[in-house]
Amino acid sequence: MINRRDFLRLSALAAPGALSFSDVFAQSDAIQFGCPVPMSGPFAANGKYADMGMKLVLQKYGKVLGKSLSYTTIDTEGKPATAVRKVQEAVDKGTRFFAGGILSSESLAMGKEAEKSNSIFITTAGADEITGSECNRSTFRWSVPTFGAIGQTVRPLLEKLPKAKRWYTITPQYVFGDGLLNAAKEVFKEKGIEHVGNSYHSLAEKEFSGYLTNAMAAKPDVLLLLNFGSQASDALRQAVSFGMKNNMTILMAWASGLEQFEALGADICDGVYFGAQYWHAIDAPFNKEFVGYVNSTLKIDPNYSLAGSYICTKIVLDAIIKANSTDPKAVIAAMEGMKYEGLTGTEELRKGDHQVIKNYYLLKGKAKSKMRSKNDYADIVSFGKSFLPLDKTMCKIA
Amino acid sequence: MNIYLLQVANGIGIGMLYFLLAVGLSIVFGLLRFVNFSHGAFYLLGAYFSFQLGQMGLSFWWSLLVAPLVIGLFAWIVEKFVLRHIYALPHHFHILFTVGLALVVQEAVISYWGPLGNNISPPDILQGVVMFGDFIFPKYRLFVIAVTAVMALLLWWVLEGTRLGAIVRAGSESTEMVSLLGLNIDRIFSLVFALGAITAGLAGALAAPIRGVDPFMGVEALGIAFVVVVIGGLGSFFGALAGGILVGIVQSLMSTIWSEGAHLMIYVAMAAVMLLRPNGLFGRSS
Repeated sequence: MINRRDFLRLSALAAPGALSFSDVFAQSDAIQFGCPVPMSGPFAANGKYADMGMKLVLQKYGKVLGKSLSYTTIDTEGKPATAVRKVQEAVDKGTRFFAGGILSSESLAMGKEAEKSNSIFITTAGADEITGSECNRSTFRWSVPTFGAIGQTVRPLLEKLPKAKRWYTITPQYVFGDGLLNAAKEVFKEKGIEHVGNSYHSLAEKEFSGYLTNAMAAKPDVLLLLNFGSQASDALRQAVSFGMKNNMTILMAWASGLEQFEALGADICDGVYFGAQYWHAIDAPFNKEFVGYVNSTLKIDPNYSLAGSYICTKIVLDAIIKANSTDPKAVIAAMEGMKYEGLTGTEELRKGDHQVIKNYYLLKGKAKSKMRSKNDYADIVSFGKSFLPLDKTMCKIA
Repeated sequence: MNIYLLQVANGIGIGMLYFLLAVGLSIVFGLLRFVNFSHGAFYLLGAYFSFQLGQMGLSFWWSLLVAPLVIGLFAWIVEKFVLRHIYALPHHFHILFTVGLALVVQEAVISYWGPLGNNISPPDILQGVVMFGDFIFPKYRLFVIAVTAVMALLLWWVLEGTRLGAIVRAGSESTEMVSLLGLNIDRIFSLVFALGAITAGLAGALAAPIRGVDPFMGVEALGIAFVVVVIGGLGSFFGALAGGILVGIVQSLMSTIWSEGAHLMIYVAMAAVMLLRPNGLFGRSS
């Protein structure tokens, strides 16, 4: 018979993330890529699509500089310490090129590890610090940081809704959430907006009704969701069930794109504003080519996680070709200042902070009756580029 | 209405669902002394079967009935053909098998339904909100409270007021004694295990319109279920009820008092209860 002490000890295994796995497909004689993403836990869906994105682009390139390409899936579990340990193990086995890191906290940690181990790490995570105060020569970022995401969502929405003077925020308490919140507070201050309250929540949270009760009590004009992935979906779904869409405007500053719309369905998304790094309907030549390729190979429209991983890996592959070398130092030099046709039009990798300069999009969910195709969930309301000037990023790449 | 009263009311709503999620785990432990780490997988399957039945055109009401019964059947088969053969083995075999089963179920869900989450809309009649003064509450959540309350009464009646309940309670004290009375204890084990799975499956089906379905919801739910069971006391029906409501209220109240610690505080509450009452609120000494 089990006793209480054993039961408690064993119960620890039930903690989220305890049930995890990792897939490894690697060849020692090839150019080895690592895909360090959460494959378990609340962000696992993003990780699984990111994994597909890397696999797809490596398959498309086949060989580079006469060498075959291989990759290792690394389950970071969304935990910085786990991510770093597993990246170290991959480096020991010869991997030098990493594209991944869905969460800012794990990305910051892996970026530091990449610098230590003479590797290259490129990410889609959002915290400003990644290409700001914590930047380093080995770390690159494709996605617009939190500063730009707020700049391209809160500002245009304020222009559309000049009477919306009271805003409430719901924020995950980690570096990404704080980045979004701080950027939003700056805009509120500048525009004379009353920030009527904020609810922080942990990264393990799934139940948002308590925070929504706080928000309803504050009677805001706009509910600004600053969380990401399934947490953002849960918060929005529960906000809609509390009837909040009828009493206020809802903006999700950093949506995870098509995968999120599919998970939520049109009825919930209808009338809600979303900020997006990527949308499959972007009118850019390379995006059309990419969407066609994904349509023909995977029979789906690409979502943000897949697209982000694809383009990040592609940037590194193109730099390897440009450098005609797999030496990370030569590849870094080739990446710096690289201009290319990307998913959002012409994109440029800024040399001074290793940030890709690209568009960010404000979408508005549309009613099911107005959707012209299965994945036509939203219209692009506006887009543009918002980045801190280099001298204000606090990035000092030697 | 005062914000704290609003949060208490909201917490009761959350807590009733936690009760339903955890009560099966507690009952199974009470009778079988078996820690079922695949309990979260039954919750996951309940949610997904409900989603699938909805996709196939079955009404929400039918899916709420059919999905838990299918989960119960699945659990009965698992218990009958596998679990009963490992009861006699050391506990790490129990864990190994049930964790393995949970992983297999999770990966099977991903293989069949994909890694992305999906939404389930509540039926039209349960959409929208009701207002009590300043207090706004979704109709669907009220429905969940009602269903879980009915389930609690039903389970209580089965456990306390029927012959089956008497046998289950007797079995939790001494399986040998029950066997000596000529009762088929194996059949009772199967039945109780299936009943535990049915409650988890129903919790999953009820939770789906609130939080959608995704392949990782089972692992998250298992963590909460263990907290509820530890707070309430192992094997105790009333413990699961009290633990569920306590966790719900703590979580909801802390959303206002210290929002960033709301999730953490449910574990703090568990630690506090363990310090004050090491066997849980309604637990017996082991």
